Amino acid sequence: MITLGIDIGSTTSKCVLLKDGQEIIASGLRVGGLGTEGPEEALADLWKLTDLDPSAVTRTIVTGYGRNKYEGADGEVSELTCHALGGRFIFPDLRTLIDIGGQDAKIISLNESGRMSNFVMNDKCAAGTGRFLDVMANILRMDINDLEACAAQSEKPASISSTCTVFAESEVISQLANGVSRPDLVAGICESVASRVSALARRAGVVPRVCMSGGVARNGAVRSALSKSLEVDIDFDPMAQYFGAIGAALYGYRQALKQNS
Amino acid sequence: MLQDTLKKFHEAASAPRAQMDKYMAEGRKVVLTAPVYTPEELIHSMGFVPMGAWGADMELKRAKEYFPAFLCSIVQSILELGIGGAYKGASAIVIPSLCDTLKTLGENWKYAVDDIKFIPMTYPQNRKPDYGIAFTKAGYERVIKDLEELGGKYDPEALAESCKVYNAHNAVMRRVDEALAGHPEITAAQRSDIFKSAYFMTKEEHTALCEEFLAELGDSRAEDKLGIVVSGILTDAPQLNEIFDDMGMHIVADDVAAQSRQYRTDVPEADDPLQALALKFAAMDNCSVLYNVKKPRVQWIVDTAKARGAKGVVVVMTKFCDPEEFDYVMIKRACEAADLPLALVEVDRQMVHFEQVRTNLETFRDMLSM
Repeated sequence: MITLGIDIGSTTSKCVLLKDGQEIIASGLRVGGLGTEGPEEALADLWKLTDLDPSAVTRTIVTGYGRNKYEGADGEVSELTCHALGGRFIFPDLRTLIDIGGQDAKIISLNESGRMSNFVMNDKCAAGTGRFLDVMANILRMDINDLEACAAQSEKPASISSTCTVFAESEVISQLANGVSRPDLVAGICESVASRVSALARRAGVVPRVCMSGGVARNGAVRSALSKSLEVDIDFDPMAQYFGAIGAALYGYRQALKQNS
Repeated sequence: MLQDTLKKFHEAASAPRAQMDKYMAEGRKVVLTAPVYTPEELIHSMGFVPMGAWGADMELKRAKEYFPAFLCSIVQSILELGIGGAYKGASAIVIPSLCDTLKTLGENWKYAVDDIKFIPMTYPQNRKPDYGIAFTKAGYERVIKDLEELGGKYDPEALAESCKVYNAHNAVMRRVDEALAGHPEITAAQRSDIFKSAYFMTKEEHTALCEEFLAELGDSRAEDKLGIVVSGILTDAPQLNEIFDDMGMHIVADDVAAQSRQYRTDVPEADDPLQALALKFAAMDNCSVLYNVKKPRVQWIVDTAKARGAKGVVVVMTKFCDPEEFDYVMIKRACEAADLPLALVEVDRQMVHFEQVRTNLETFRDMLSM
């Protein structure tokens, strides 16, 4: 049985084809989330990667902020539920998942059997999200993918004390004017995201094994700053950005099994 | 029949201005009652129609001339409506001193809305000792004096009668709350209408309508819904209630200031009805704005959730509500200790998009049911 999971986020669209709830047979990601052609483009990539077409799919589940507007799925599920399922699919002993997406951050706690037992969302503030990194990269005229390598050159990370993205933007500009090096600023920016997210994580409770998901998970500087702040190892998987889509596909598989039984 | 009655609740809840115009057309004077607890019995006894003024879901513009952005939007929207003329024709507004933001509402009201008299009701922090009761009574006397300037007449016998009217309404609202716990087919939106309409109808009318409703409700039904207890100051946003309904959630009890918290305590019997009214305030409890160092409210929520078979508690936090935010930590800990799942959603009067709330409650539903 093949199930399809689509995760339409605020900045990217991701999709995954799952075979028998066990094997990822293809995945696609396009920049452009809610309100863009991103989901269709990511799906088109999937069909190109495989010899399959939509008729091969038994069940399609959509998740993410764009889930309510997407037509053509068999069901929709909250992205927290899907991230929890996807995280546990990759890391079977996962207990805490830290998801930093384009517009929010979420901490999901799982019990020993993998059931979601708690969650906390930061959904009102751009600080501590991918949007914060986007804004800062823009000020520094850098590609967001280069932040990690730049931060690695830092000797003394700058302190970004403002708790608000807009004020932090002014602060970074002031620090640039005062001659703070770009690597130190980038490292400080990554630590700033980690600081806000770790405060959120402590509210939910942090139990190992911990992993990150979402686009920001790819940034090793944020991961290591978060690990240092929480005093816990944080695992990363190259599929971290697909956890939502994996979880949606898995949810669809389980739902189909239940209906067939 | 039941649907007709529910429609009446909805009409009253969604058209407060029409209700106000109706009473004024009958030659009656309307006195606005701001959150959280005003001595409605007193206002009623002096010949006025008390009408709730808990603001509205709207964009705030003029209120920002008087308030910083980080203040409770319920209070800000009350002032916005006052400035915009939504309450035009009301004789006065009684604003209690039960939180810091409400205190500033009264002071700002005096300057921002000059055609509706501001009447302060200053409550004591320590309401239970004799000196607290005396302080409350003195506050009521101040309200009486101000209402007399508007043509009202204080009569202890009339107050005793009004207290009976309000006690009867309290009793019927408690019965409604209990009955609704066994009726998942009544939606969260309909439940909200029943409670909200109480602010815009005379208590005599609302009691009668509630009696009709209870008679028509019939036997309790079993339905596959997720029982929850909702806690907060205000939960009347249509989008919020739509989400509760979409998620298959059934509110089996509430700890909402604008709902059941209003009806938990009756005016006791006493020779002096004004003293009795002060004793009622002294006896009230289990609310974030009613000071009690032991915070019995926290255990009340846990016990009520267990007694009503709720699967979880949803705290609907009004943004920037300090008293509720202080209590939240204790509620969270108590629920965790009782193995009672808890969700926190934040709302305010200016909210247009509720997608984050939907995601939160959808996840909570999954957490409880998967």
